[in-house]
Amino acid sequence: MSKKTDGAIELVELRKEFGEVAAVDGIDLGIRAGEFFSLLGPSGCGKTTTLRLIAGFERPTAGKILLDGVDMAAVAPHRRKVNTVFQSYALFPHLDVFGNVAFGLRRQHVKREEVRRRVEAVLEAVQLGGYEKRKPAQLSGGQQQRVALARALVLEPSVLLLDEPLGALDAKLRKALQLELKGIQERFGITFVYVTHDQEEALTMSDRIAVMSGGRVEQVAAPAEMYEEPQTVFVADFLGVSNLMHVTAEGADAGACRARLGDFVLRAGNGDAAVSGSTRIVIRPERVRIEPYESMGDNRVPGMIERVVYLGSAEQLVVRLATGDVVQALFVNDGTPREFVQGTPVQVHLPVDALRVLPPPAAAVPEPEAKPLEPASDAAVQLGAG
Amino acid sequence: MKRVRDWFANPWGQPRALAVITWTYMAWSIVPVVIAVLFSFNDGRSRSVWQGFSLRWYWGDPSLSVFHDPSMRGALEQSLKLAGFDMLIAVPLGVGLALGLTRWKGYGARPVNFLMLFPLVTPELVMAVSLLLVFVLLYKIPLGTEAQVLGQVTFSISYVVIIVRSRLLSIGPSYEEAARDLGASPVGALRLVLLPLLSPAIFASFIVVFALSIDDFVVTDYLSSNESTQTVPIKIYSGVRGTTTPALNALATVMVVATLAAVALAFLVYRWALRSQPGQQGALKEIAALEA
Amino acid sequence: MVRRWFWPSFALPGAAWLVLLFLVPTYAVLAVAFGTTDPIFSNPVPVWNPLDWQFQTMRSVLGEMRPGHTFWIVYVRTFAYVAISLAGCLAIGYPVAYYLARHARRSKALLLLLLIVPFWVSYLMRMLAWVGLLLPDGLVNRALQELGVISQPYGWLDGQASSVILALIYGYVPYLILPLYAVLDRIEPHVLEAGRDLGASPISTFLHVTLPLSKNGILAASVLIALPMFGDYYTNDVISGSPRTSMIGNQINLFFQGGPQRTVGASLVIILSVMLALLMSYYLWVTVRASAQTEDSLL
Repeated sequence: MSKKTDGAIELVELRKEFGEVAAVDGIDLGIRAGEFFSLLGPSGCGKTTTLRLIAGFERPTAGKILLDGVDMAAVAPHRRKVNTVFQSYALFPHLDVFGNVAFGLRRQHVKREEVRRRVEAVLEAVQLGGYEKRKPAQLSGGQQQRVALARALVLEPSVLLLDEPLGALDAKLRKALQLELKGIQERFGITFVYVTHDQEEALTMSDRIAVMSGGRVEQVAAPAEMYEEPQTVFVADFLGVSNLMHVTAEGADAGACRARLGDFVLRAGNGDAAVSGSTRIVIRPERVRIEPYESMGDNRVPGMIERVVYLGSAEQLVVRLATGDVVQALFVNDGTPREFVQGTPVQVHLPVDALRVLPPPAAAVPEPEAKPLEPASDAAVQLGAG
Repeated sequence: MKRVRDWFANPWGQPRALAVITWTYMAWSIVPVVIAVLFSFNDGRSRSVWQGFSLRWYWGDPSLSVFHDPSMRGALEQSLKLAGFDMLIAVPLGVGLALGLTRWKGYGARPVNFLMLFPLVTPELVMAVSLLLVFVLLYKIPLGTEAQVLGQVTFSISYVVIIVRSRLLSIGPSYEEAARDLGASPVGALRLVLLPLLSPAIFASFIVVFALSIDDFVVTDYLSSNESTQTVPIKIYSGVRGTTTPALNALATVMVVATLAAVALAFLVYRWALRSQPGQQGALKEIAALEA
Repeated sequence: MVRRWFWPSFALPGAAWLVLLFLVPTYAVLAVAFGTTDPIFSNPVPVWNPLDWQFQTMRSVLGEMRPGHTFWIVYVRTFAYVAISLAGCLAIGYPVAYYLARHARRSKALLLLLLIVPFWVSYLMRMLAWVGLLLPDGLVNRALQELGVISQPYGWLDGQASSVILALIYGYVPYLILPLYAVLDRIEPHVLEAGRDLGASPISTFLHVTLPLSKNGILAASVLIALPMFGDYYTNDVISGSPRTSMIGNQINLFFQGGPQRTVGASLVIILSVMLALLMSYYLWVTVRASAQTEDSLL
């Protein structure tokens, strides 16, 4: 298969309503040809619906779906040059591997010789050469996933849609397949539109990510930018661990935003400095500096170490600030001897260039789900009691 | 128009024709019965020409109505009598069989299971003939009510087993094990834990057996003796081609109403009973409460 | 530690009942068919010892089943009725089951309810309903006359094969739809979407995905209603009442009305049972073979 050059998708004011509810609430999105693009968000955010709209299984209530400039909204799914890899693989139980992969080709009435050639080639590409006669029920999860992939790839689509394809696999297999998928995508240059709720997966594989929530796009950016420069509270909280704190912003102060955290005044060097009013600041755990209690200077808040968690490759500290906020700090295990003891008073330094102020929310944003490794963070305590 | 367009929004595009077929089928299936029920309220003697509304065939007519005609009333009573006996005998036997089969670990389970399944695939005629022959020639049991009950129970048991067994399998052994762990004897665990959990299924079995018995024809007919042992289906069978009155329709309607009422009752009781029993949702709530 | 006999003992009464009132009677049929007839009262005399079984009756009955003889036409006719009725049931039932399983959303509960109602209405009542409609002055004739299709009342109930077949279809189709619905409902919707996604039009998806996946279900449902249909006699008696349309069940029934012919009747019953047993075995063999291949029974 030669490398593809087409497959750009544009969604224009796309909207899908189910009765009263708008699953997709007017989104505009541009996906470049040959890009690995992820739709990331919690369940119910509309990412799967968006995917199904592109595939053609749902008809949009309003808006356009352009594939290389042509509106596909009225085209039936079997006529679109777009193929899907389903979360449950959806392999045909009554056909063997060969029959499954050859299915699309046969519908196009491709000659038998060519069918065989192409099917065998693609099965080799996904490392399932020799499995032609097996039935889906006889394959493991990872193998079934690869058959589903092969089945779609053999048709040489411009765009491949993947609906959480690795969700049902164990962690190690998932990591391996992530690399494989990325490799295939780069090799053949097919545009991948990848739906997932796993932010780590999205960060690892994507060229660009769109974070969605409540049927809307919160932010579209490359992984690094998304992680380092979240534009909204939702994005900041959804990607990785973040320390979010409520502050009263007081506008610009020498290029940074002045924010009042309880009795303390901090300067946030990232985000819109002119923000004022009730809002939040955020800092990543790996940027938080823990200094001895006597330490002096800007952006420092006294606190006490509540918990020390040893993670093997890193050490996590949970510190309660004098203001009552809880902050997580992360220290990579680089050999530096560190002695953190629970109960020690410390000075928490939130460096100006690492601290970001977020815009005040326009409307109430739903709290994302608590993530597993958050011992005593604010969010976990709130949700656990519910 | 929007609804039509919404139909086309579905990528399949087929539903319209299928929907029409389906609803037409439903009408075709139900309407004849509804018409027959309606004619039971006919004022005249015709079963096919409407002559006005009347309740005469139910109790109005002094000699031909269901209530007054002795053979009609007798048929109704016989039907109910048989159903009652059938329920009382088949359900306990069936529940026991279900319990035994589900928990039996030894060799005997397989053949008994097989034996239990056979009546379900045997045509009624074959069963009726075999019972007739064995009663007359071997057991020397006279035909009539007793014979009819024996016959009905025989095919009812398997249905009870199926209903109870599926409920047993979904209950699982964990509750009894918990009871035994807390000191109950096997019989105690059965009585205090398992049977209460099974009660919806047992109740459903009663209703199913009732309906099966009321509607049964072949076995009951073959094992009947004279007019006094006729049930409603038999009466309908013998009278339907003759010049009978709508009283026959009325008789049939009474039976249908009885059956549907029983089924509706069973459904409601089942739902109510299952709501108050520990299920998946209850467990989740408990776990969530522990987390807090 | 539960005593080993605790649970099996619960099954004992039920099992004993079935042995006495199901197994033994089945054996009794054999004993009668291969027995003799009392010369004086013309009653059947069962022979319980297999070694003493007499095969003349069975031989003569089988003889009468050859083409041209008495039973041949009845068997052929029964097979024809069952085949046509089955085809009719599938033609009506499959679309309904398909719609119910895959499409009906809001009305699904209502449709399922309507589907189940005929189960609780006695078969004979449903036949009674049709007799009422098909009477010379019944609604069907009157409607047809009104529409000008016929000028005089048609004798639907006078030994018409078409009426019998119609009645059989009407009577048995609910029993076909339910298992078909169960099978179609179990097909994962994504599999059908995958078919569309890979370029198969709706019709093509149906032919290449849905139909193969429901093959087993169709077979199961067909066997489910064919079995009792073969033994049916009352439908014919009620709708036709004429020997012109008599089925195997009617023949058997005939021989059990009077005394001396019961041996013949028993023989017919055995033949019927064997036929049905063969049908069942064929069905089981196909199913087992299919599930061995896919290791994923859709039943």
